[in-house]
Amino acid sequence: MPIETTDIARLAQILENSGVDTIEIEEPGLTLKLVVATRLRTAASASRAAATAPAADHFVMAKADVAGHFRAAHPWQDKPFVAPGQRIEAGATLGLVKIGLLYAPVVAPTAGIVDAVIAETGAMVGYGTPIVRILPRAPGNPLN
Amino acid sequence: MIEILSVTGPASIQDLGRFDQYRFGVGTSGAMDDVALRAGNIMLGNDENAAAVEIPMMPFRLRFDRNIAFALTGAAVEAEIAGRAIPPWWRSYARAGDILNIKAMSHGARSYLAVSGGIDVPMVMGSRSTQFRGEFGGLHGRPLQAGDILPCAASTAVFGELGIEPAGITLARTNGAADETIVRVIVAGEYEAFDATAQDLFWSSSWTITPQSNRYGYRLQGPAVQPKAPVEKRSHGIVPGVIQIPPNGQPIIQMRDAQTSGGYPKIATVIGADLWRVGQARLGGKLRFEQTAYTDALAAEGEMSAYLDRLRANMRLVEEARTCR
Repeated sequence: MPIETTDIARLAQILENSGVDTIEIEEPGLTLKLVVATRLRTAASASRAAATAPAADHFVMAKADVAGHFRAAHPWQDKPFVAPGQRIEAGATLGLVKIGLLYAPVVAPTAGIVDAVIAETGAMVGYGTPIVRILPRAPGNPLN
Repeated sequence: MIEILSVTGPASIQDLGRFDQYRFGVGTSGAMDDVALRAGNIMLGNDENAAAVEIPMMPFRLRFDRNIAFALTGAAVEAEIAGRAIPPWWRSYARAGDILNIKAMSHGARSYLAVSGGIDVPMVMGSRSTQFRGEFGGLHGRPLQAGDILPCAASTAVFGELGIEPAGITLARTNGAADETIVRVIVAGEYEAFDATAQDLFWSSSWTITPQSNRYGYRLQGPAVQPKAPVEKRSHGIVPGVIQIPPNGQPIIQMRDAQTSGGYPKIATVIGADLWRVGQARLGGKLRFEQTAYTDALAAEGEMSAYLDRLRANMRLVEEARTCR
């Protein structure tokens, strides 16, 4: 079945909404690769964002890497894993995604300051869903 | 290897227990919360009977001398590996030299530290469990102390961080007041030796767990439950879960380190599926007994097995997904 232009537009929309960067579809005689460059993600990865870009462009997004229900706190702990303003190290657990009886951690991709917890507890999240917005710690400018 | 840096209460090495020596008067020992022990081992892909460290009091600190995966289950604890916080019922990974610091216990009474491959102390009479009374099994048959070195079985398994839903959530029951655990029991041999008033006291009271409670047994405090006439029985076989009424009328629940025989009249027995709940009930907390039929006890056992089956299936899926990537 050929892929229509409207399908591509719809796929691009889905990618943008879910926070996924790239999708590749392969069928006999057809390869489609979609790469979405959203403002947040280009800012996060691009070094050119430097001098003139507004502060908001420096954010890095911690994303879910599995599908399930998001939890900001462990059910046995009152306190959420992180709160805005909190300093975190790379690899820190920012929240949980519950799949069946399993709790998969949402992990900080970088050290920095938590700007916002975007996902809501109980919400269904999928691969690439933005969970926590982080203001990364710039090298040579350590936070105290 | 693991080096114990500091330990507060009587921590010990336990597996599921020693089940083949009962006829020689050797009790089972084994984890007070066997569901938590199994869950920790399932998370690590271990044999479910692999030995782990049972930790009843905090703080507890230890150092890993090599890279190894571990899991913490049981009580809700506040813990850190190399300064990084880990949630309850969690599998994580230590690098050689990393310190695991278990700082506080917010609810429950015993935490379990399982390691990839299990704690490799010698098998004694079919089990690695510490038998305090007989002073054998585990590490030299005694509670762990600072400076102890625990051998770990060689394992090259590498795992990512992952948690599982605690048994206390999946298998939650409606409890009475705060800090009161409702425990299902089946009436036992001498139940009829108590008249209706005494029986009613047993069912209606909220029993306080006294500080004289440990791995041997839980001594409870409440109104005196007295038999119609004093019951003097010859010592006979008893098992963990049996609730005896000594002459002072204050019930004793036999736990994992119970003797294999006793003579006090038995009023009831905690069902197998609820014994871990008693093991996680804290000193000063309260217990209430709920009468249960044998078939319901089997159904409860089924629910517990279903939880463990689901855990095993979920873990298998994760490992399959991991090898596919």
